[in-house]
This record gives sequence, structure tokens and C-alpha cells, in this order.
Amino acid sequence: MLGFSNKSLSNFLFWATQKKWFLVTMAIGAILLLLPTPAGLTLEGYRIIIIVITALIMIVTEPIPLPAIALYILVMEVVLGIGGPEEISHSFMNDAVFFIMGSLMLAVAIIQQGWDKRIALGIIRLTGNKTRNIVFGFTAISAILSSFIGEHTVVALMLPIAMTLIKYTSDDKEKVCGLSAVLLFAIAYGALIGSIGTPSGGGRNVIMITYFRDYNISISYLDWMVRMYPLVLIQIPIVSWILMKSFIPEYKQLDTGVRKLIVQVANSPELTGRSTVAGFIFLLVFLGWVFLSETLGLGIIALAGVLLYLIAGLVKWEDISRNTHWGVIILFGATISLGSNIKSTGAALWLADHMVNTFGSVMDVFPFMKDTIIVLITTTLANVLSSSATVAVLGPITMNMGGDALHLGLVTAIASSFGYFTAVAAPACTIIYSSGLVRAKDFLKAGWKVGIMSIVLLILYSNTYWLFFK
Amino acid sequence: MKILIAVSSKEYSGPTLQVGMKIARAFNAITTIVDVGEKVSEFNSKVVGLTQERMESWEFDRPGVDVLEWAFKYLADNSFIEPQIIEAGFPKNTLVETGASRAEVYLKGTLCKNVNLILRNGDIISELRDEVQTGKYDVTIIGGSQKRRMAHDLIQFIDSSIFVVNRYDPDQTYRLLLAVDDSSMTRKAVKFGAQVAHAFDIGVDILTVSKRKHFGEEYQKAAERAGTFMRRAGIHYQNIFKEGDPAQVIKEEAGHNHIIVMGASTKSPIAKFFIGSKPLKVMEDCHCPILIVK
Repeated sequence: MLGFSNKSLSNFLFWATQKKWFLVTMAIGAILLLLPTPAGLTLEGYRIIIIVITALIMIVTEPIPLPAIALYILVMEVVLGIGGPEEISHSFMNDAVFFIMGSLMLAVAIIQQGWDKRIALGIIRLTGNKTRNIVFGFTAISAILSSFIGEHTVVALMLPIAMTLIKYTSDDKEKVCGLSAVLLFAIAYGALIGSIGTPSGGGRNVIMITYFRDYNISISYLDWMVRMYPLVLIQIPIVSWILMKSFIPEYKQLDTGVRKLIVQVANSPELTGRSTVAGFIFLLVFLGWVFLSETLGLGIIALAGVLLYLIAGLVKWEDISRNTHWGVIILFGATISLGSNIKSTGAALWLADHMVNTFGSVMDVFPFMKDTIIVLITTTLANVLSSSATVAVLGPITMNMGGDALHLGLVTAIASSFGYFTAVAAPACTIIYSSGLVRAKDFLKAGWKVGIMSIVLLILYSNTYWLFFK
Repeated sequence: MKILIAVSSKEYSGPTLQVGMKIARAFNAITTIVDVGEKVSEFNSKVVGLTQERMESWEFDRPGVDVLEWAFKYLADNSFIEPQIIEAGFPKNTLVETGASRAEVYLKGTLCKNVNLILRNGDIISELRDEVQTGKYDVTIIGGSQKRRMAHDLIQFIDSSIFVVNRYDPDQTYRLLLAVDDSSMTRKAVKFGAQVAHAFDIGVDILTVSKRKHFGEEYQKAAERAGTFMRRAGIHYQNIFKEGDPAQVIKEEAGHNHIIVMGASTKSPIAKFFIGSKPLKVMEDCHCPILIVK
């Protein structure tokens, strides 16, 4: 046909099948570009919305590599005249991107130090042998650690501990289904509820802080903790209770598992003085975040930590380079660029006005309705997109919905952590799912209960406790 | 001859392995067993990898290695292979990364020359396509799937013969249903059919279907040639001539107790993609194992 060989036609069809979402997205983009600009919106504003829509579809469906989506955003922003090359390249980088980069690199450095072995002993010492207490311990430790060092690091450290306990309790996976689910979800959901506790708990928090700066709102590390940490502490017992009710563990005591775990850890060659130095460096980073982040920036401090790890020889650059997803970092830069351009072109205000007009009548009737709408939209998007991308794109819109921008921004940042519902909703969920010990449907089974609890609690909490800070 | 067997889980892959190894034996083929794990979103691929590295320090294998280990043991237990125990071999299950989503797996302390183990992650069709293209396999053997799209993509995009081990019951007595016509692929299908019949030690029904009452000369010749081939190979066979829609008749004749062997369609890829083909129609609805020869 047309002089093409069957082989090349077959290759083309395979390409088209693999890239079907890319082709669909481009068609949607082209149609939107041909439509007239909606009233009240500038041409640039309309075009940035089209770039956002097409980029988000591709982030969800992944027809092309993530860094390619970042390049698509970059190219389209310049080609469609959102800004000049200088302007757009500047909008790709800020402290939040540095933070995400630093946080991914710190994860590599920290995970290699063998802290998991120490944590294992610590948890068991605290909780003893009762399953109920162990589940609470896993939730609490995951939540507290992830509020400082990021959920993926915590889950990577905690997962082997849980899996070892499970393995030593019974070799037959069928006999420990409930126990596996309850322990693994305690880690993932614990890490998610903890990640709101401090700014360094997740890239999304830092993105929101950089957006606050545009509104001349300053919130220090400690300010953030004072506002958020009680919510973390309230959620820990509730989550572990919900998990114990959703998945019934087969064993009430884990005597054998605990005993064997202690023996394995005690025989591990990794418990050395090296990890003490590594802990000291992390303490310095933490103190830097608490006391210096307003002047130095959270991202720079995270990178300073990586620098110290490299100087101390605790991690090899090759390991950092191999295990850091540079493409994801470029993509976060691109979503932050989208966020800042949504704001600068006036599209954020236009979208916010539309949302307020659409839901205006219910907002007036029911109290907290604006918060509820923001929480629901953010939670939905965060479950299909990455949570940082959600905050990067939604933040400028929700903060423009009228009222206290700090309140609205914080609600958006917290709601973006509610990635409970599917195996791909958050890195924490994907990591426990990749172990093969939990099923895809388990996420919904426990997720909807934890999700509703978090949503209701956030709305009540933000409209009561936060009043003290007005 | 090189054969690729795709396994997915311990529960469902037993029949696939049995059929696969019988064929491999008949062709004296080098066999590769591949497990394709679920695709991990690119956002999380590195952190999942990092976690798995950490898991190794706690003596856990990567997910999928257990399935390959089970498959290897299954083949040894059923005397399909004779692995050697080597004390100087790998001290633990070892993965050698040979691409972004591909790793060769070497099991602890054992060796078997004719069987390779591969672990892949990603979309099953693209991973199998890539494996077949790089490894230049002649036959890909895979378990049945409920998804119709899967049959389509396998036939359309995998560049080797495809054997779908659909509802194979080891206790059932099978015959081989060899569908012949005047297409160029029939000749190869006959050769493959004879080998498969030998492997399973079963008789062959040579089925020729014509849409019209009158059977064309080429059809008759094809059926005769197939018969001669079977006779020479010492295989018991019978010729069956039927009139009707070929895909429908082949499915009906096959029922539950045949292994279907037929040639791939020679239509252009575009026509196959949009309109479909006879082998695709048979594969989508049949209730028995089916080999499409390319």
C-alpha cells in the first residue's frame, strides 16, 4: 500500500496504538485552539488553559515519557506566545524545584544508610508483640518520619521491616493476607497523613509556600508545624483503627515474627557508626529547615544536605544519579511554570471566578462549602495526577477564589495528600502495591473510609483550630 | 528454533508451561520463560526501584522472580528439564539488568542450559514484542486471556508464531485441527502442525472450508498436500471438507477437544487492523488452544 512495506506499516500501526492518547490529546488541543476565546479571558490565558488540559491528559495517560511532556509544555508556552524564551525558562526553576530535586537525592542517601534496621528494633521495642500495637506503631512511626523526610523515603525504609515480619509469621501468603494488608497500609497511609506535618514533608507543601510568597504571605517552618501537626497526631490513631477494622489480621500476637526479626537485624552487618554520622547530617538539615529556611530556602538547604552526604562519602554520586528521576524533576519544573503562567495571564482569576459563580449559591447557603469544593476537586485530581503537579496547577486557582489566600492554599496543600484511593494515587501506594502483597481492590476497600475521615476532619479542623491564628 | 513462554502467575501458568515445553521438546528448541510484571507509572519507577534495592538487603527477591523460580521448579518436577545443582553457582537469585525494563534472572545454585529466565516490566504487548524482536523467537506461547483486544494485539504486533494456550486440560484427549487453504502460510502451518501432533502424539483433522459449494482446485491441492505430508510423517489423519464461513466452521469443528493450527493472514497490516482477519476471529472465540503460524 502506497509503496510502504508490510513491516513499516505494522510498525506505524504499533506506534499509533501505543501513542493513541497522544494523538487524541493533540486532536483535543487543536479543536480547542480553533474555538473562539471565551469572554473575559485573554488570548494568552485561553492558550495556557489549553496547554494545561493537554498536559494533564498526557500526565495521566503517559503516552510519551514524562520528560517529553515537560518539553512539550516548554515548547508550547513559547510557540503559543505565553512568554518569551527568557521568561519561560525562568518560570521553570524556583526553590520548590530545588527542594523536589534535593528531596529525591536525599532519599537515595538516606535509604542507603541502613536506618531501616535501627527503626525495626525501635518499633518492636515500643510496641511489643501485639498486632494491634504493632499496627499503631507502624502508622505512627511512618507518619512522624514522613513529616520530615518525604513519604517515598519512609515507605522504602519501612516496607522491608513489615515484609520481614510477615515472612517470619508465615511463609504461606494466603495465611497472612489480612496481616499483610493491615501492616502495608499502615505504612502507606501513615506516610500520607504525616506528609502534611511540616513543609519538608512533600514537594507540594514547598510549592504552596513559594506561591504564598507571591501573595506576600510568609509562613515559617515552625508556623506550619504548629498549624498542621495536631491534625497529623489526631489522624494516627483513627487510621490505625480503620485499618484494623477493614483488614482483619489472622494473628493477634506476632511472637515468632518479632523474635526472628530481632535476630535477623542483630546479625546485620549494616549497624555501624556510619549511620550515626548520616543521622547527624540529617539533623543539621532539619535544623536548617526550621531556623534558616525563610532566608536560605527549603530547597537550598536540602541540597546542602546532599552536598554534606557527598563530602562525607556516605553516598556515591553514581548512586544518586542512577536512582534520581531527573525527568520527573524537569516535569515538576514544567508544572510550576504552568502554575505561574496561569496566574500571570489572568487565567487563574478567570477560572476561580467561574468556580465561585458556578457554586456560588451553595457556597452562600452551607458553611465551609468553599473549602469542601476545593478539597473534593484537589483530592480527585491528586488521585489521578501527582500531588505536586496538582498543587502546582490548582494552587493559583484556589487561592484566587476569594477570602483568606493562606487558608485556601493550606487546605489545597493538605487535600493533595489524600491519595488513598488507588494503587497509583501516590508514590507510597505504588511502592506497597509493587510488593505484590496487597491487591488493587484493597486500596478502595480501606481508602474510601480513610478518605472520608480525612476530608471531614480537614474541613472541621481548618475552620475551628485555625481560627486561633487569625 | 527459539521459543518464548510468557507466564503470569503460579495459579494459571501450569498448562502454558506444560504445552510450551512439549512443543520446545518436539522442536528441540531453546526456551526462554518471561514474566512481564505490571507497568509502574514513570513518576514512581525510580522510588520503586530504590525500594526493591533496599528489599534485597533484607533477602527479598524482586516481585516476579518467585514466579520464574516456581516455573523453573515446575519444569524440573515434571521432568521437562534436568537442571544441574552447582555449588559454585550464584549464591542467591541474581538479576542482571539488560535494559530499562528487562533483567536476566539466574537462580541460586542451579543451571540449565536450555532454559533462560527473563523478568520484564511494562505493557505486556510492547514488552513481548520487544523481547521477540531482540531475541528473534520463532514461537511465542502465552496463556489465554479474557480480553478480546489482547488477541488482536498479539496477532497484529508480535512478529512470531503465536500459541495461545486457551483452556488446556491435561486430562482431555485432544486431536489437532489443521485449517488449510490456498494461502502461502498454509505450507508452514502444515509443517508446524505435524511437529505439534508428534509432540502430543495425537491424530490430525485436516479441515478445508470453502465459502461456496464448489471447492476450488487450489483448496483441494492444499488439502491433498497436507495429507501427503502427514502420511509421510507417520501421523494418523483425516481430511474434512466443509462449506460455510471459515472462522465459524473452524470454531465449531474445534469445539473443546482440538488444538487448532492455522496460518496467519496474509492481508495488509492496515486491513487486518481495521477489518480483522480469519485467524483473529477464530482466536477471539475459540474454546481450545490455538497456534497461529507466521
